[in-house]
Amino acid sequence: MTGAIPTVAEASRLIAAKRLSPVELTRACLDRVHALDHRLHAFIHLTEERALDEARAAERAVMAGAPKGPLHGIPIGLKDIVDTKGIPTTCQSKLLADNVPETDAACAERLAAAGTVLMGKTTTHEFADGGPSFDVPWPPARNPWDTDHFTAGSSSGTSAGVAAGLILGGIGTDTGGSIRGPAALCGIAGIKPTYGLVSRAGVAPAAFSLDHIGPMAWTAEDCALMLQALAGHDPRDPASADRPVPDYSALIGAGIKGCKIGVIHHFHETDYQVSAATRRGIDEAIATCRGLGAEIHEVQLSPLQDWMACGSLISIVERAAAYEEWTRTRLGDFGERVRSRLMLGALVSGVDYLQAVRRRRELRAQLQRAMAGLDAVLTASQPSEAPKIDALPKWDLFQTPSFTMPFNVAGYPAISICSGFGEGGLPVSIQLVGKPFQEPTVFGIADAIEKATDFRSRRPALVSRASAAT
Amino acid sequence: MPSEISDEALDFLLARAGLTLSPEQKADLKSVYAGVAAMAARVRQQRGRMAEPALTYGFTGEDLQ
Repeated sequence: MTGAIPTVAEASRLIAAKRLSPVELTRACLDRVHALDHRLHAFIHLTEERALDEARAAERAVMAGAPKGPLHGIPIGLKDIVDTKGIPTTCQSKLLADNVPETDAACAERLAAAGTVLMGKTTTHEFADGGPSFDVPWPPARNPWDTDHFTAGSSSGTSAGVAAGLILGGIGTDTGGSIRGPAALCGIAGIKPTYGLVSRAGVAPAAFSLDHIGPMAWTAEDCALMLQALAGHDPRDPASADRPVPDYSALIGAGIKGCKIGVIHHFHETDYQVSAATRRGIDEAIATCRGLGAEIHEVQLSPLQDWMACGSLISIVERAAAYEEWTRTRLGDFGERVRSRLMLGALVSGVDYLQAVRRRRELRAQLQRAMAGLDAVLTASQPSEAPKIDALPKWDLFQTPSFTMPFNVAGYPAISICSGFGEGGLPVSIQLVGKPFQEPTVFGIADAIEKATDFRSRRPALVSRASAAT
Repeated sequence: MPSEISDEALDFLLARAGLTLSPEQKADLKSVYAGVAAMAARVRQQRGRMAEPALTYGFTGEDLQ
């Protein structure tokens, strides 16, 4: 296990130039898995033999001059709520401990068709909800920057795995922030694409109208490469958007001179005060954008708590509906955190739900008006650095408003990227939000910020220590 | 929606949902009722009866095939 961990884009270029073997790349990732995953718990199920077989196949194709594209030979992980043919898919739950799907989810199919190397199924919160849970059959993932700390969730294994270089990218899902939260606390990039852009077929539902599937990787550029393989119409998903797929890397490296970026200051200054390091990361990102020639504008929306109330009520009810049968018949088989959240469904009336869905239309219209004339908006992604994993209240839903939920409510694309580090060495982050189906713009701005700062040159210390030991 | 719920009202809601909970679970749920009530209050606006929900849908070409 030697050498720096490449990004997807770097590995792709090296593989295409026949300067990096997909087999060596996969072995290096597997070495890190064996050295670190007993501490990180990023994987529920490792598919080592399949990974090596796929890496060898990728190597043969590359050497024969027939690579499938930029993801051919790239080691990835799939969140364990994504169905995988012949591979256990547990949703981190006792209820599905023995579940082995007969078909692949759409996103698994698409990444396999692009030639990725499947390293395994990554840790999630049970059914992508609640967490961290210590009373389900598998332990929660740990933050590679400090294993006493939380990864956030629910795409916790994918984020920990990417940060530690166990995988170069992976799939997350996001109902209220489950891609962007763990991306933020683990210091990586993760995008919740526009609602309907990536098929949800074959992925366990959390809340139907808020669920999104998206890529997580070390950089925004890597996320763009992965989204290229993932996006596209799928009639198996009733919400799937039927529209052309653009080049998601079109604005990578293009700079942001003249871009108009709005900042929602009141979210992180008035509605909920973020930590000093998070505030500093936001302020420095704004300064970076200005320095690169972007125009900064102020954006005013309804208070964060309004968005949170709307999204939470919808989420509570849609989850309760999706899991109603098991909630009635096997409630005791869920871990405590999910069990408690499912019970909440009894407290929300049908009229409450419909009022939330009416509010959703108003809030979306408000965001649409606020973003008129802008390319993107910038806001906080998480309130602070990662908290201790054993210090998280069960009912955090009612204590800290989510900075990510507004864009599940609106369905707009939003990416979380690293914007620095707090005093304890834990990452902080910002969130960039684009207009529907304008992911290329989001990636372009995120890439410009990443390349103008040096935060992508730093990996968790535990990775360097493990490398030094081999 | 009041910010507190009586034991009788909670029992009714749980029965309607088909849930049988322990006394501890009921107490836990009661402890967060005010949070749910606050959310329900926040989504109510002076919007009148004509305001459409976000899930209003239209028909597509596939409906005519």
